[in-house]
Amino acid sequence: MADVKKHDTPMVDDLKSGPWPSFADDIEQKGLNGKQACLDLLGQLELSYKHKETHWKHGGIVGVFGYGGGVIGRYSDSPEQFPAIAHFHTVRVNQPASKFYTSAFLRKLCEIWDHRGSGMTNFHGSTGDMVLLGTTTDQLEPIFFDLTHQMGADLGGSGSNLRTPSCCVGKARCEWACIDTQDICYNLTMTYQDELHRPAFPYKFKFKVSGCPNDCVAAIARSDCAIIGTWRDDIRIDQEAVKAYVGGELKPNAGAHSDRDWGPFDIQKEVIDLCPANCMWMEDGELKIDNRECTRCMHCINVMPEALRPGTDTGATILVGAKAPILEGAQLATLAIPFIKLNKDDDYENLKDFVDKCWDWWMEEGKNRERFGELIQRQSLQEFIRRAELKPIPQMVKEPRSNPYVFWSEDEVPGGWKRDVKEFRARHAA
Amino acid sequence: MAVDKEELKQKILEFATKKAAHKSKMYIKDLYKADPNASPREVKKAANELVKEGKLEYFSSGSTVMYGVPGFGKGVEEAFEEE
Ligand code: SF4
Ligand code: SF4
Repeated sequence: MADVKKHDTPMVDDLKSGPWPSFADDIEQKGLNGKQACLDLLGQLELSYKHKETHWKHGGIVGVFGYGGGVIGRYSDSPEQFPAIAHFHTVRVNQPASKFYTSAFLRKLCEIWDHRGSGMTNFHGSTGDMVLLGTTTDQLEPIFFDLTHQMGADLGGSGSNLRTPSCCVGKARCEWACIDTQDICYNLTMTYQDELHRPAFPYKFKFKVSGCPNDCVAAIARSDCAIIGTWRDDIRIDQEAVKAYVGGELKPNAGAHSDRDWGPFDIQKEVIDLCPANCMWMEDGELKIDNRECTRCMHCINVMPEALRPGTDTGATILVGAKAPILEGAQLATLAIPFIKLNKDDDYENLKDFVDKCWDWWMEEGKNRERFGELIQRQSLQEFIRRAELKPIPQMVKEPRSNPYVFWSEDEVPGGWKRDVKEFRARHAA
Repeated sequence: MAVDKEELKQKILEFATKKAAHKSKMYIKDLYKADPNASPREVKKAANELVKEGKLEYFSSGSTVMYGVPGFGKGVEEAFEEE
């Protein structure tokens, strides 16, 4: 079934003239192949370019029966002009850990979506979900039924819910993974099903899990709780391989950047001088590292992967409070726990204990639409440390104290604020 | 101290219905006020059960979710016009 373009879209069409493939092309193709919604979408986009304002209305419905998330309601504000997108809801589908698919899964998903939606998808949304773009309200329950019954898939998070947790490829393919990112991601997803599917919080909350400090899912910039693999023993060094890098037998960065001749590899210039902690040096032809000073930045390991490897006493660093700029400005995560052992056998109990304490505080004190990081900013890092029952570390001190007074809290003072005046006066005359 | 769930649900429903007369969409935080003795988690659980029973309804702006009382304010499908 072929369709014809009803709307004139010169400005949108202009996007096709650049050197890269354009979404305008893709959407138009889909439209000409029978999805009028795609053509109406481009028509409305043209109108938005013309008016310099959006013609979407959003909000309303949240999900399917029993769910308070996973569907984002969208409606055209010009339905007479663009009837095929009068309803154009988005469905978020929880991606598998590390986004591994079989082609059969993807084919089936596309079939369902061609049948019940616009056929347009976004792989993946910035939280990690598979995003199905554009369907009508009456299709939501059937889509959910097909997803759950035919594909074993579930909706993702939206609104003031826990958002779909996501993780890097981790131990499935990456030798640097210090933790089993997929297992942790799956475990958190299953443990917090209620929070994921029904609103629980003042605003959204995201978990992201990276296997090592390279942080391929950008947890440190984009999640309220970043779980990043690390190690606390020494970087493993194979001195023979170091020599091979220096001698030019091994290519630095595993041969990446080899499209250009960068000259012979210079370990001093390219590794040692770039170590942010300044903790590496050469001694009698051997590479030395003062591991106490190393900040686990991964630079040296990235450059010489055959010579250097993360240590074997592995765990995770936990950071909290990153967010994109919506209410306040963008914020990177703050370090909460420098090292924590993560243990599959105890169901990651220590991590979840920490998470529960954070949530208790945020649910009690967080303002409407206040992210966790903003609560820390508003009520202070000190308060966060107290509520999360963390042990403060020197790096958490912003500046030396300038006020000579110490403000004790009642539980830090023996006997609290109450004292026996008579007993005091027995020793001290008024 | 844990509060009785059915009692809490009743309190939330009364509170929300009263409030809905002049403000049809509420944040979960507003519902905490229905029973100061209940923990945020208990209120959240109870409110979500009320939605399941059809006594409250969700309203989403896309990024946050609010609660409403069916019949008050605009219906779910038209309520986006409040945005
Ligand atoms: S974050 Fe580290 S472990 Fe995960 S894929 Fe990237 S390099 Fe590998
Ligand atoms: S990981 Fe980074 S900080 Fe540590 S030794 Fe290597 S370059 Fe230096």
